[in-house]
Amino acid sequence: MRIAHLALVPILLTAGMAHAQDYLSCQLAPGWTQSETIHPYTADNLYDYKDGGAEGYLIFGFAGMKSLNCKSGENTLTIDVSEMNDADAAYGLFATNRDPRMPVAKIGMGGQVQALSATFAKGNYYVEIVVNAADPNSDHTAELTTLVNKMAEHIEGRETPPEALAWFVPEDQSTMGVAPQSVLGLKELKRGYVAKYKQGQAFIVVEETSESAAAVLKVLRQKYDGATDAKVGDEAFQAKAPYLDGICIFRKGRTLGGYANMPTAQDAAAQAVKLAARIP
Amino acid sequence: MNNKTSRRDFLSTGLMLPVMGAGSSLGILNLSAQTPAGDAGSAVKLSYKTLGKTGLKVTTVGMGCMITSDPSVVTRAADLGITYFDTARGYQHGNNERMVGTALGDKRKQVVLSTKTEARDKAGMAKELDTSLSELKTDFVDVWYLHGKSNPSEIHDDMIEALQLAKQQGKARFVGVSTHSNQQTLIPWMVQKGVFDVVLSAFNFSMDPAVEQAINAAAKTGMGVVAMKVMAGGARGQKAGQTMLSTLKWVTNHPSVATTIPSMTDMAQLDENVQAMGSTLTAEDHRVLAGHLKMIEAEYCRMCGKCEGTCAQGLPVADVLRYVTYADGYGQFALGRERYLQMASEHVEARCENCPVCTVQCPFGVKVQMRMKRAQELFA
Repeated sequence: MRIAHLALVPILLTAGMAHAQDYLSCQLAPGWTQSETIHPYTADNLYDYKDGGAEGYLIFGFAGMKSLNCKSGENTLTIDVSEMNDADAAYGLFATNRDPRMPVAKIGMGGQVQALSATFAKGNYYVEIVVNAADPNSDHTAELTTLVNKMAEHIEGRETPPEALAWFVPEDQSTMGVAPQSVLGLKELKRGYVAKYKQGQAFIVVEETSESAAAVLKVLRQKYDGATDAKVGDEAFQAKAPYLDGICIFRKGRTLGGYANMPTAQDAAAQAVKLAARIP
Repeated sequence: MNNKTSRRDFLSTGLMLPVMGAGSSLGILNLSAQTPAGDAGSAVKLSYKTLGKTGLKVTTVGMGCMITSDPSVVTRAADLGITYFDTARGYQHGNNERMVGTALGDKRKQVVLSTKTEARDKAGMAKELDTSLSELKTDFVDVWYLHGKSNPSEIHDDMIEALQLAKQQGKARFVGVSTHSNQQTLIPWMVQKGVFDVVLSAFNFSMDPAVEQAINAAAKTGMGVVAMKVMAGGARGQKAGQTMLSTLKWVTNHPSVATTIPSMTDMAQLDENVQAMGSTLTAEDHRVLAGHLKMIEAEYCRMCGKCEGTCAQGLPVADVLRYVTYADGYGQFALGRERYLQMASEHVEARCENCPVCTVQCPFGVKVQMRMKRAQELFA
């Protein structure tokens, strides 16, 4: 029985790879044909392809990338599919790279299609497509839209953004995304979620336990001279901080949240109350 | 420095790098006065060098902004006195340039700012530069690089024309090329070409000596040298603390390197990296680096390709070493096994035990047979 299970491993891996090829096909875009073999990249050779930009993938938790080149007449098209360690990382990469001045389309967890490029995230996958057009002013929005929608159909996985993003207060929000590490530039706040507002920014970090969240809050409070208690969540403090201006950081269960870059600590606390109320 | 001294000689003998070039100087920064965390800080020395013939005065530790997400880190770096900031048009699809421009604000005039273009023709480069200037909120960049080139054949005449035009228009004060690989070919070509002011090169204590020779030769001609990937893989979680600091100090003390651009995501990293300035390599640094080099020598493939075709059983040695590194180095066992099982069946089934003597000799001292056996144990 055990031998039979082991024998299945290569078959299952092969099946998985075959599935991976389904969405990585030039034929999903009408009129385009494959011009090169698929190039695989991993953490240790991504620099060869993305130069310093590779770090932007690695920091989110990068498993691998497959890159495919297609052609149509004088135009070429490159499809890069990054497999990330989890869906939040894939969404985070999308959010980091998206144009904040453009709307997010409902493609997988989110996507954007422009005249010569498209990006979207679905499940553990982040997809980037770039058209190198003979006419740089040409508009390929229609065919890119077709392509990303077909690719998204073939990719399995989550189609909704990280749950925590819905906790942010929506009013006056400009952008939101995933901070792969050091939220607010503070190493104690590891991976989390950030929303930028017309004034200030909010964050959410979900710790393993209430105890670990309380420990982080304690360390953070000790950083800021003059920090005082704030009535937010289970426990909180507010302070005036260098570079972060008015801040308020609270704990609600195992979730840490707060506001920074507000005019005063009181302003930050007032906003933090609204955020805490939205966290389950 | 004797340019013929390899890093290995240097580390094994514990030779100290000589005093920095005549252009170097020191400044004092009271870290405690500006630390955002209120941590017990101490006065640290800012060290400066001149970026080759550009004459730009730069701190030996600059800031690679690529993965910095919170602008407060960039702002504080400028407040601390760091004078070199690096970004690229392609980082985060342009969002990184926008963040850096916002974070520097009025401090832009106090710092040396560099960005890069991946465009491959004159018109595309010009368009990207204009976008970069707009996003960075500046009228000019101090250094404008062609992004990520490995071979002279990737750099066409019209790209060089675009660089020169940008200088004539005052949009870029100086121009250069960034490179991660094949520096031993690309950098001498850049020197010979005579149109590049600066090279931004991957460079750290663990690299092929040929890269160091190329960098030394370029610096001698007056080309400014900026080093990246100075942590020798530290961004991948392989090292921490003292090793990180020692690896950074090794580069900041290198006489051919003017500045470095380690990536920084938080205030703590910034404070640690600043400590590398103004301090010479100590005996402890030598010990740490020698120990780390010894560790990576035995295990980590430098991808030089010299083992290709030397295995008696025809195994793709570098590939197998990479697969085992996925598992042992990056904790990605499934990926390593997947790649391993994709090899030809005769390679998957091959066993090192079948050879009386290993025919593969790694010039960098990787214990190939040991690592190949490890791969066979793990994956086959």
